[in-house]
Amino acid sequence: MLRRLAFASLTRRRARSLLAVMGVAVSGALLLDMVMLAGGMRDSFRKLLLVRGFQLRIAPKGTLPFDTQATIGQASEIIATLRTNPDIVAISPILGLKLRVPNRNVTTVAIGLDGDVQADYELLSGRPVGGTDRIVANQAFADATHSRLGDTLVVALGYDTPRRRLVIAGIGRFFYTAAGEAVVAVPLATLQATGGSATADRVSLFMARARDGVDPDVVRQWIEQRIPRISAISTGTALKQFDQRMGYFRQLAVILGSISLGVGFLLVTTLVTVSVNERVGEIAVMRAIGVSRQHVVEQIVLEGVALALAGTVLGMGLGLITARAFNAILSDFPGLPAAFQFFVFRPRDAYAAMSMLAAAGALAGIYPAWRAASLPVADTLHGEAIA
Amino acid sequence: MWSRTATIAAIASTFAVAPASRAQPTVAIDERLAATAHLGIGDRVVLASEPGVRGDTFVVAAITRRGADPSEVVSNGYRVRLHLGDLQRLLGAGDKVSRFAIVSTDRARTVAAINEVALGFRAYPSAEIAVRTSKTFRVLRRFHAAIGVITIVASAIFLLCILALKIDERRRDIAALRLMGISRTSVITMVVCEAALISLVGTALGALVGWVGSIVINWHYQGVYQTPLVFSLITPGILAFATALSIVLGLGAGLVAARRLARRPPLALLGR
Repeated sequence: MLRRLAFASLTRRRARSLLAVMGVAVSGALLLDMVMLAGGMRDSFRKLLLVRGFQLRIAPKGTLPFDTQATIGQASEIIATLRTNPDIVAISPILGLKLRVPNRNVTTVAIGLDGDVQADYELLSGRPVGGTDRIVANQAFADATHSRLGDTLVVALGYDTPRRRLVIAGIGRFFYTAAGEAVVAVPLATLQATGGSATADRVSLFMARARDGVDPDVVRQWIEQRIPRISAISTGTALKQFDQRMGYFRQLAVILGSISLGVGFLLVTTLVTVSVNERVGEIAVMRAIGVSRQHVVEQIVLEGVALALAGTVLGMGLGLITARAFNAILSDFPGLPAAFQFFVFRPRDAYAAMSMLAAAGALAGIYPAWRAASLPVADTLHGEAIA
Repeated sequence: MWSRTATIAAIASTFAVAPASRAQPTVAIDERLAATAHLGIGDRVVLASEPGVRGDTFVVAAITRRGADPSEVVSNGYRVRLHLGDLQRLLGAGDKVSRFAIVSTDRARTVAAINEVALGFRAYPSAEIAVRTSKTFRVLRRFHAAIGVITIVASAIFLLCILALKIDERRRDIAALRLMGISRTSVITMVVCEAALISLVGTALGALVGWVGSIVINWHYQGVYQTPLVFSLITPGILAFATALSIVLGLGAGLVAARRLARRPPLALLGR
């Protein structure tokens, strides 16, 4: 009965209800997008950091990984020190340089790494990095150099440095590379030798994995105490830095999300209030024939919730479509890995957005419901009769 | 003296504060570094190419302020400017430089001439570098534009809904006017004018809120990123667009609702 009355009341002015549902749908879509942006971006970054289970990054003192061109000297000494800690089960040294492929007129990012403990790429075809000349390239590099698996390429660090022959042994997908950026993984010793004395025994960073059950922050503190010339960064610290740099997006998400919620709330409040004002006579008659105040309140709150829910369901679909469009725009953001996503759908985000809008709908109905329930029955009927 | 170890981006250039001298080499530091490390003009700092390496002592000769450079906004790094020779010596970089800046009377010809004979380097016009380094902001601009479209759709629906309700609420007034003999056209014109006026007043209030919001946004982000860059700007074009949009929507909603009401017999509007 209650639902039927609420439904009849909403369908009495279909155009108006439809407009309100559309308004709530757009607000709901923006709200869902902003909830996805606020939490998903951080989640995506966290997943990227832990893609191969390395919880610690070790960078030159005072820097973040690959934030500057600074490198760490005497890398083998650091590896030896790290190996003395039984809580560190894997160490992956990485050197990042720019390499030229003179014959193809291409400059590429080269990552020097140890093929056995690398956490930078997943192999799609061929063999992993190994020996002195076996490299793994991404598809963007293969396309740029018009090369294929098994091809031998001549590379050099600069224009006045010795050249070296490398064989493309595998094609891989790199986790930390921007979309369309050419990149190759090269045996660390080979890349260090290519750079001559400037890169001998130097690395850009180390990745370290702590034993299961060991707090990575305890290992981080141990590393910083034992090797003062480096900065050890745990996933938590990296996420804090990330929050600081990408704080703009989180603030934008909070502001726009709040505005969307506010717009949805105002829209439902206005519509339900006007609807109640138009029906004061009808409500007074209902009260006069014995319908309880609670029943009137429930019916009007239900109208608000129904409007909000109908808009929210539409808004969820719309929000997912717009999130994809937003992600496509932001995928061009310079310096961010291709695998990084700003808008990540998580069921709990959808529930959060739906709950917020449904609660806003219920709240929006409370004021007009209270007004309707507290109408003086006789005076209202008298006023309506005169009108 | 600042004892904390930090990695600082060093730029070698000629700066006109004090001449380089072998006895007392000078540096210019940015104001963020000066504030963080409590450094002032005349203080001595030790700069080294990396932690644990014996560095050289420099005298702070100048404190610089960041320009409104979009490419530096999200960078938290400190900047120190050294005389070219001092930085080359500090890094052991010999006679190497990262880039040259050239002033030319014929830019296109100079760029072409350099690139024709260059071996191992390439010349770019400043405008091209500006385009490359401002990609972050181009992406953000597209993102903001996309969000703007959704916001405009949401506000348009909101405005239509409110105006439709507002006009619908006046059905009894309209019925009375029609019963008094006022023509349909006059009633429609009156309602449409009223809707346009409400839109205009709403836009003026909205512009005021937007202007205050813009001041708050600039104050907040200029403080967060320590830059004189303007983040939010209300231009006459934006104002004109917002005004035009809200008036058009107001007129549209007013016209549709007024015609619908004016078509109905006055007694039906009164519920008789």
